[in-house]
Amino acid sequence: MRRFNNLMINEWLKLSKKRMFFMPYVLLILLPLLVGYIVHSVSAELFGSAFDFSSTMLLPNGIGQALTILAIIGTAGVVSKEYGQGTIKFLLIRARSRTAILASKYVIVLVYALTLTIVTTIAVYGSGILWFGLNGGEAGFSEILLSVLYGFVYTVVYVTLAFMIGILTTSTGVTIGITMFAITIDKLVISRDFYKYVLFPNLNLSAYEGNGAPMRGMTLSFSITMLAVYMLLFLLAGFVVFRRRDVA
Amino acid sequence: MNQIMMNQMTMKQQNVEPGKEAPLVLQMNGVSKIIKGKSIVDKLSFDIRKGEIVGLLGPNGAGKTTTIRMMTGLIRMSEGDVMIQGHSIRNDFKRAIAHIGAIIENPEFYPYMTGLDNLKQYQRMTDEVNDERINEVVQLVGLQEAMNKKVKAYSLGMRQRLGIAQALLQRPKLLILDEPTNGLDPAGIREMREYMRTIAEVEGISILISSHMLAEIEQICHRAVVIQNGKLVTVTKLGEEQEAAAQVKLTIRVDLLQSAIDIVEGTEIAQLNGMDSTRAELTVTLLDSNVPALVTALGIGGVGIYRITELKQSLEEDFLKWTGGNLIA
Repeated sequence: MRRFNNLMINEWLKLSKKRMFFMPYVLLILLPLLVGYIVHSVSAELFGSAFDFSSTMLLPNGIGQALTILAIIGTAGVVSKEYGQGTIKFLLIRARSRTAILASKYVIVLVYALTLTIVTTIAVYGSGILWFGLNGGEAGFSEILLSVLYGFVYTVVYVTLAFMIGILTTSTGVTIGITMFAITIDKLVISRDFYKYVLFPNLNLSAYEGNGAPMRGMTLSFSITMLAVYMLLFLLAGFVVFRRRDVA
Repeated sequence: MNQIMMNQMTMKQQNVEPGKEAPLVLQMNGVSKIIKGKSIVDKLSFDIRKGEIVGLLGPNGAGKTTTIRMMTGLIRMSEGDVMIQGHSIRNDFKRAIAHIGAIIENPEFYPYMTGLDNLKQYQRMTDEVNDERINEVVQLVGLQEAMNKKVKAYSLGMRQRLGIAQALLQRPKLLILDEPTNGLDPAGIREMREYMRTIAEVEGISILISSHMLAEIEQICHRAVVIQNGKLVTVTKLGEEQEAAAQVKLTIRVDLLQSAIDIVEGTEIAQLNGMDSTRAELTVTLLDSNVPALVTALGIGGVGIYRITELKQSLEEDFLKWTGGNLIA
């Protein structure tokens, strides 16, 4: 276990020693303040309180989306940069299995996404208090937490996708490109029955709020199952390829 | 004079030491790499014993890098196995690789981290490497002053040194260096050579150096493994050992060419191979041990000697002979 901890420390340092490491955090603090200001100046009555503002903004189609994009950018290089910089050679000639090395990278990707989510949640809530106050409104803490959960699921699925593409393509640019393209088209709905088995309509679990559904015939448990299956596929593909690939 | 003798003695001893009794550090057992039906490396077998410095020679595209990447587990073997200290790279990778330190092609580090941070990355991936060991290897490669600078500010020579520090960190039994002098200037190459000698002496480890720079290999290695088109061409001994009892070919420049020729033809110990009257030079073949006798004979005969040059068949000539010119298949 101590060995795995050390691998994770390594991965965290590789992320956090970068000069631009704090940029996403700064953006995710400034963005809610700005959005709050704009919404408040356009229509101050739109949100009753900080709780209303936060539970809406943190959804995958609000500020949650910006959070996901920044998490993807951070994730894209975790494996592919090792190939790009050539450091993969020094990384893989140690007495550690490739599986353990890749697993430590994935755990750190999840930790990174979690820290971004926590910072964003606090920033959005703070912005809500600043512009809309704590009184009134309908929502409470539980609504905020639920929105955070929806947002986090969306982010985790996307960083897992980016993680896999990063392994398969070994190119940071291509990884960001493909994943961003996926984000831009994931709101499209194709009204055919097969489409519910595609990843995209299952991504935003908040669609089930108030007895709704993204498409007819879909349920919350169906979507959760689909997401789990896709995540497993992504990870399986990533680990199998990483373990077997020749470093030429 | 005494010191030179001493040096030669120690050199000799070193050459003798990795003899038959020294334990095997690396065994290549019929290793092949087949990509799309084509053998990149074909049933390659050779051994490295403790304390040996071995050169892996071959023209571009001979399969040197593929071979080294298979030894270090970066590339899968199609056939055969590599044993390091008796552990299989194929089936017992973690225990086998723990005895290897390597630089494969260019030493590449995380450029935004300092040299020390980079070394610490590898310390955390290795069991039983403490901070003291880091200081030790840093001192061995002479990077103390640069440890807190970011690697992106390092010169290629400094990165090579950090690469060596990285490779030595886990006290390997075998150091693998792939084209270690690539991109270094003459001073850097010389420095590198000195490091390798120091490392072999101080750390007492075997070194495998891949290169197409023949002069490099010739100067530092005890043995050379020559491969071409992925196949073993020959394994040859280098340096003093080879010369000890052998015949030498000398070119001697004299003042009186004809008298010199008469003297050489009059003795039993030397054979005249040829002469160059415009340069007043003659070429003779004789046993190494008979050289002083010939010089004395020339002196007694009143022949003045300007210079004596050994006509050495260089590794380069051998290499071209073995590999059949510069054909790249």
